[in-house]
Amino acid sequence: MGVILDGLVLGLQLALLSVGIVFVYGLGGVLNLAHGQVAVAGGLVAALLVQARQHPAVAGLVGVLAAGLLALGMDRTLLQPAYRRRGEERLLLALILTLGASFALDGFYTFRYPNLALSLRLAKPSVEVLGITVRTASLAVGALSLATFGLLLAFLKGTRLGKAIRCVIQNEAGAWLCGVDVDRARTVTLFLSGLLAGVAAVGQGFFSFLGPDMGPEFTILSLIVAVVGGVRSLTGTFLASLLLGVVNAALSYWVGTYLTWIALLAVAVATLLVRPEGLLAYWP
Amino acid sequence: MSTGWARRVFPVAAAAVVLAAVPLAVGGSPYQMRLATLMLVLGCYAVAFNLLFGHTNQLFLCVGALASLGGYASVLLVRDLKLPAVLAVGLATVAAAAAGGFLSYVGVRRGFGVLFVGIVTLAVSLMMHNLLLGLRELTNGETGIVTRGFGVGLGDDPRRAYYVLWAVLVASLGGYRWLFGSPHGMALHALSEDEVSAELSGIDVTRYKVACATAASGLIGLVGALYADLNGFISPSVYAVGHVDIPVLVALLLGGVRTLLGPVVGAALFSVVDELVRPFGQLTVLAYGALLVVLFLLFRQGVVPLVEQLAARGRGSAAEGARLSAPPASKEGVAGGTGR
Repeated sequence: MGVILDGLVLGLQLALLSVGIVFVYGLGGVLNLAHGQVAVAGGLVAALLVQARQHPAVAGLVGVLAAGLLALGMDRTLLQPAYRRRGEERLLLALILTLGASFALDGFYTFRYPNLALSLRLAKPSVEVLGITVRTASLAVGALSLATFGLLLAFLKGTRLGKAIRCVIQNEAGAWLCGVDVDRARTVTLFLSGLLAGVAAVGQGFFSFLGPDMGPEFTILSLIVAVVGGVRSLTGTFLASLLLGVVNAALSYWVGTYLTWIALLAVAVATLLVRPEGLLAYWP
Repeated sequence: MSTGWARRVFPVAAAAVVLAAVPLAVGGSPYQMRLATLMLVLGCYAVAFNLLFGHTNQLFLCVGALASLGGYASVLLVRDLKLPAVLAVGLATVAAAAAGGFLSYVGVRRGFGVLFVGIVTLAVSLMMHNLLLGLRELTNGETGIVTRGFGVGLGDDPRRAYYVLWAVLVASLGGYRWLFGSPHGMALHALSEDEVSAELSGIDVTRYKVACATAASGLIGLVGALYADLNGFISPSVYAVGHVDIPVLVALLLGGVRTLLGPVVGAALFSVVDELVRPFGQLTVLAYGALLVVLFLLFRQGVVPLVEQLAARGRGSAAEGARLSAPPASKEGVAGGTGR
């Protein structure tokens, strides 16, 4: 039972990470291979602030903001040449550029902060809910993720900018013809993806701990979710995240980490082979 | 005709002579010899990757995985099945070639674009990595295997290791030169420009892509097996994406995609840069990443085409023929021929 709950919380975390990567892909035609590294940036900034004896809430907020700003910076500098191209050329250029960025960031983290880790402890480690003992951290992280998703949905459905973003995802040229500032929508989306990744990283700090070398793991996990869930809808990503979260937790518990990784990757490859057209394609 | 032939063979012969002279220049220092040998290893990988990525648009992010297949297969065949080392290296090469050919076949048949091939091969790389870590009783996990005595003995003699790798590199350059001097070269140029048009003009794109991937993967597997021997030790991390694939990508971009000597020049330059940043430990990863970004943004043509252009400017239009293999339309660089 505890495993399932941990899996669900992990799934929510995954959803926060993957929604960002899926959004940026769906909207910008850019697969951000440095997405996990953006998340880690948020976690490390939070860890630095905790080290400097700031309140954890302040540290977490600033960390999330830092991740958003890093994504924003990448959008304004690194990805500009990619946006100037179309179709597969844009994909390839962005793929190589973000791959390079991911290694540069990873190198920087492990060089500059080899021993820094974000680990936030709650006052009360566990509580009884409906007769089972549950870690407070799991509940807190679950609530945090759900609240973030609520805000995201409210933004997308309720605000003009959110609607504009959904327009661009559906049809870039059409949205542009209707007067939507495509460039701005893309920038906002990258910023949002950074914020969501930052929340996931800070959540990871509550849940267990976050180290400087976790970027690749985050990127790969969100990539697997994006592939399996497809980028048709937010719901698809969300469901795939929960499913893979539970599978991940259960498999790690029963068969160990290495086999779990192989299984998850195999699922992603199999999905690509069986239904390549629906997965990682542009939104309809 | 004979001058054309001489002009075609000359670059390969020149590269062979220059590379053969390197051990004389560095003297007997084992450390320098090791660096020089690793440069050749990287050069071989880059030649193979050039064929995959540069000429047939197949972004194989599993160079390290194929090399590890070659390395582990050759070592385990000798250690556990007591096969002769040469036979084991041969079988390992065949295994890697088959694996690469299979991946390519699946990719082509499913109509994967460059992105999907990249993702699938990256996933395959990570699966291989975790498999090697997980099969602990066979591979010793992260501890790795000491390969002394399980190979053809390259680990004991740095000079021999160098010249064996030299022979492999020169042979692969010769093969590359032959390929692009033959009608197949024209077909490959056509398909790297636009696969649909190539198919329509009667070129069997699937066969060319799979054949290139098989040959390139075989080369990668062979070099991976030889590396296992000369390095004296293998573990999953010596074949990791960050240790093999990224340097190969950087070296190829640095030297020049779709050129004969680009992979070799790039490997040499990369080895120098790598040596310069080595004292800074983890900073090497940062340097690789930054180099990849800068190269891909600002310097996509690479050193070899640049030198050729400068030389051509010096000699006027007479130097048109000196372009090694890239057709004029490919100036745009790697992404120029990604097809649609």
